[in-house]
Amino acid sequence: MAWTVLLSFKSNAALMADSGAAFAPPWTLENYAAILQGSLTLQWLANSLIVATGATIGVLVLSSLAGYGFARLEFPFRRSLFVIVLLGLAVPEQAVILPRHQLFAWAGLHNSYPGLILPSLTGSFGVFFMTQYFRAIPKELDEAALLDGASRFTLFWKVLLPLTWPAQATLGVFTFLAAWNDYWWPLISATTSDYFTLTVGLASAQMNYAQTSGLGFLMAQAVFASIPILVVYIAFQKQIVRAMAGTAVR
Amino acid sequence: MRLPLPGLDLIDVCKSYGDVPVLERVSLSVAPREFIAFLGPSGSGKSTLLRIIAGLETADSGEVWLDGERIDPLAPGARGIAMVFQHYALYPHMTVRENMAFGLVNAKVPKDEITRRIAQAADILEIGAQLDKKPGQMSGGQRQRVAIGRAIVKQPRLFLLDEPLSNLDAALRGRTRVELAQLRQRVDAALIMVTHDQAEAMTLADRIVILDNCCIQQVGTPAEVYARPANAFVARFVGSPPMAMLPGVIAGAEGGRVQVRLAEGMMLATAVPAGGLVAGTEIEVGLRPEHVRLAAPGTSGAAAEVELVERLGDRTFIYARLAGGAEIIALEPGFGTVRPGDAAALVIDGEAAHIFTAGGAAHHPEPRG
Amino acid sequence: MNAALRDRLVGYAFVGPFLLVYAAVMVVPLIMGLVISLHRADLFGRREWVGLANYSEALGDPVLHQALGNTAMLALLIVPPLTGLALLLALALNRPGRFAAVLRGVFFSSLVLSVTIVTLIWRFILTPDAGLIAEGLAATGRAPIPFLSDPDLVIPAIAVTTLWWSLGFPVMLILAGLQQVPGDIYEAAALDVANRWTVLRRITLPAIRRTLLLVVMLQTAAQLQLFGQAQLLTGGGPGGASRTIVLYIFEVSFGRWELGYATAIAELLFGMILALTLVQYWLVTRHEEPRA
Repeated sequence: MAWTVLLSFKSNAALMADSGAAFAPPWTLENYAAILQGSLTLQWLANSLIVATGATIGVLVLSSLAGYGFARLEFPFRRSLFVIVLLGLAVPEQAVILPRHQLFAWAGLHNSYPGLILPSLTGSFGVFFMTQYFRAIPKELDEAALLDGASRFTLFWKVLLPLTWPAQATLGVFTFLAAWNDYWWPLISATTSDYFTLTVGLASAQMNYAQTSGLGFLMAQAVFASIPILVVYIAFQKQIVRAMAGTAVR
Repeated sequence: MRLPLPGLDLIDVCKSYGDVPVLERVSLSVAPREFIAFLGPSGSGKSTLLRIIAGLETADSGEVWLDGERIDPLAPGARGIAMVFQHYALYPHMTVRENMAFGLVNAKVPKDEITRRIAQAADILEIGAQLDKKPGQMSGGQRQRVAIGRAIVKQPRLFLLDEPLSNLDAALRGRTRVELAQLRQRVDAALIMVTHDQAEAMTLADRIVILDNCCIQQVGTPAEVYARPANAFVARFVGSPPMAMLPGVIAGAEGGRVQVRLAEGMMLATAVPAGGLVAGTEIEVGLRPEHVRLAAPGTSGAAAEVELVERLGDRTFIYARLAGGAEIIALEPGFGTVRPGDAAALVIDGEAAHIFTAGGAAHHPEPRG
Repeated sequence: MNAALRDRLVGYAFVGPFLLVYAAVMVVPLIMGLVISLHRADLFGRREWVGLANYSEALGDPVLHQALGNTAMLALLIVPPLTGLALLLALALNRPGRFAAVLRGVFFSSLVLSVTIVTLIWRFILTPDAGLIAEGLAATGRAPIPFLSDPDLVIPAIAVTTLWWSLGFPVMLILAGLQQVPGDIYEAAALDVANRWTVLRRITLPAIRRTLLLVVMLQTAAQLQLFGQAQLLTGGGPGGASRTIVLYIFEVSFGRWELGYATAIAELLFGMILALTLVQYWLVTRHEEPRA
């Protein structure tokens, strides 16, 4: 990691000569300047932010609702439906990505934000994770709230959801990460450069500049693409560890 | 049709989980402002019964009425019932004030009324200084008060308490017991408490409902269930140490009172009316420890071997085995000098003995003249 | 409306939104995939019913057999060491204190990187001309090792890359499992003078067996779908020595445009992963009481 960051500050010429040079000055910002010169880079950054944020919010909302439903409510076929959702964990992306591509083409969803976001919302892990988290909350709380005259929705919204905050942070960060780093779906779904995400856009730029770009440029690109998620990750690290530890609920 | 009566009425409540019956045709009436304890061993259905009253579980059949209104089809929050949970079930992310207000906000109680009720409850429970704390920052005893406070502010028609003292240490338990007794003076509602601790039930309750094996075994005041247990189960379950049960046979009657021959061959003149008890019937004789004592030196008594001595300071329980093998418990005032292994002569107060027939039905001694 | 019916509707209202999206974007494509796999189809809309021909072709396809072998080898080289390593790290990091917290952060941070960046980094570590390892070897006067072009070394190289990249998530899951083990169990064990190995084997491991199961199941499913690392590090070479199943699917669909055949292989892979997952689940849970 540190090496990547160091490399990104070196001029390509210097690295051509000696890859070990990374650990010594002089350093330069030329690689970052080169990235920002791509006219669409900021648009891609915005796209990535929109897609990753949209996916995160969508997953959190859907998984929380479904997790609560599967963990706490009784309705016919609850167990079978849960198993069907869990089976999704075993579906390789390649088994659905091609038909999904056709389906989205038919629905006219390619080159749109919904088209880029929707596939992220099918994640079974989120539902599984939230279901487990809701199950770990003492049922007495539900009962107390019901006796306090809360409706199922009030109970969910005012009593249980605030307690899942660490889980939301964890799932949110993972979803954001996955959506940010996703490569193949945005690659085949977004065909016009206006809708490229940063990952796809930088990769295409990399191909265009194949001749001129060197190690330093690639590394700068790597660092540039990683900065937002690093920020997100560091900001939420405490909640993540806490959620994983399940100690938030007493 | 029933008349709209105040208080709580359970009519033929049945509940089973799959093939496992939990409650079978349970009926009970609770008067307004009465303090009732559900007492029974674990698995006796006492918690399930409480939860059916609260609406947290649905009975398979039967009816629940409160103040003349049938409440079993109502949602838990619409029944006018408040409950204090075993683990308190305070909302961890809300302050004490928010915890107490939650139910009132849901019930759309006006804001200034909520403020007033919370202030009043905080006053009673002496938690005014903690109103802006969260439950995680409070001790177990304080959390219990908040849980009670949350129930009080709702001004319910019925209070339910699920094992309210089981999570407290011994010192706190004694104090909270006193507080619960004071609480019932202050609230205008009936209270039902589930407990497996008979001392708790005996001290607090007006009447005790003893449950076992899916059924109510007896309903009565603490004095009644202690002095006139309805059957062998209640006799054994209430009282600490429990009533000793000695196998015997009805030998006959004298003056209308039953004579029993114990397995040791010893004859015992009881004060139980002979009516319905035929000579030759095998029975069990129930004796509380306070009706068995050591014979004074030089006098005779039933021969027994001391097995265990429990010295409580002011009194001593002596667990002994009679020559025939039956276990018996005697009570001596003071510290005593008897030791395990000693041979002892026991004097049995036959006039206090209870008789239980094979079906468990109880025959009690006539009150002493 | 009666209460029972209302409760059901509430239940569906909560799980409904997810299930709708799941059905539309997951289940429908999956079924479409099954249908497509029974056709000779390309990306340009040509469809011709061929029944199970794609599947019988797959069974006799030597390239697929090689890819299957590669993938199985990769999974074997990755999943057990990954689980073991993650367990060790989690045990070591499962303690309070700043230092452990910082280390936890460091291990999780590799999670943050995308596959493109991971392979970039490792390409420059592994590459024989001026890579980190090559430089190190040169410094001690040895010849560079061509990790990515030697058929025998390319799979281990990909495995190591994947290990480094994937370690964070299992560590996190196991840490979570460890912190849920009640502390008084350990105190009881300490009173019984159990040594550390006994404590680990008799208390810790049984307590987190469900977590370990989850880790193994998720990782097996993930590694059987290994794709990006192989594609970007080696392109499947040399001579197909590192071609994985999913890489092959990608080649068949986007290189040869044989959509029907590609989805047929994908369905086979799905069946395989599903079967493996179920077997693992059964192996671990068969001794447990069925949970209500």
